[in-house]
Amino acid sequence: MKILVADDSRVMRQIVIRTLRQAGYDDHDIVEAEDGADALAKVGSEKPDLVLSDWNMPNMTGIECLQALRASGSAVPFGFVTSEGSPDMREKAASAGALFLIAKPFTEDTFKEHLDGVIA
Amino acid sequence: MTDFQDTGERRRTSDAPLLITELIDEETVQSIAQEAWSALIGDDEFLVPLPGGLPEDAVSSWVEVVGPWTGAVVLTCGRATAEELSRCLLAEHAPPVLDAEDVADGMGELANVVGGNVKAVLPGPSVLGLPEVGAAPEAGVDALRVDLLWRGQSLTITVQGSAGALTDQQNNPQKNEVPL
Repeated sequence: MKILVADDSRVMRQIVIRTLRQAGYDDHDIVEAEDGADALAKVGSEKPDLVLSDWNMPNMTGIECLQALRASGSAVPFGFVTSEGSPDMREKAASAGALFLIAKPFTEDTFKEHLDGVIA
Repeated sequence: MTDFQDTGERRRTSDAPLLITELIDEETVQSIAQEAWSALIGDDEFLVPLPGGLPEDAVSSWVEVVGPWTGAVVLTCGRATAEELSRCLLAEHAPPVLDAEDVADGMGELANVVGGNVKAVLPGPSVLGLPEVGAAPEAGVDALRVDLLWRGQSLTITVQGSAGALTDQQNNPQKNEVPL
């Protein structure tokens, strides 16, 4: 399985990848994207099985990326990993087609809770 | 029918600016920061609510919140503390010598996580900005400051209204040299 991790912070991408491994998802290919536009392009070129994306990013936000993907017909499973987990944002995420929203800070247990049904 | 006398009371009340000290307290900010530290820095990393005095080379990272209350959540610590925090965040991926970009990235993410969770406690709807790193912006009157110690080193978190020096900072790009 290939997982695309999109976050404008290299530090946070490393933390997300480390947490994936700690949660037991350590035998998957990881691809990184620096913002929403990069993620949108890499969904096309890398064909990931899952996208884990930050919300607030320069160039293109995570929600804009998701909306662009769905508008283009892509049904790639998509989840947010973001510092904001308000009910309003969760609703926006779900309406746009996100499977889940993991709020930062997260633990490996949070990842397991949201990803066990998604990652085989 | 009762005559309605407009005393201006309702208008004054609704127009009154929201003060941060009426919206969030020090314990809540500390609790948010502690949760971020435990998850991102390490399970056994504790923030102790004691003032320690910041060194001269202090650096800050912050995120702006724009909504019913508008201002910034600012994290400030010494440069050595910032490097140590970034090293903890990067863990096994930390290079032998951290460059300024790594430190700015790490400090920015800490401000982003703390700021995002502070925003969730404040009245909404509001929007969170992207993290910025630079010299400490001065806090105005509408500010809540939490003094903490991490590994014996000083660290402050200030939730401050936009009427303070952030506006001045934005007009002086030389003060904010490392936008993320």
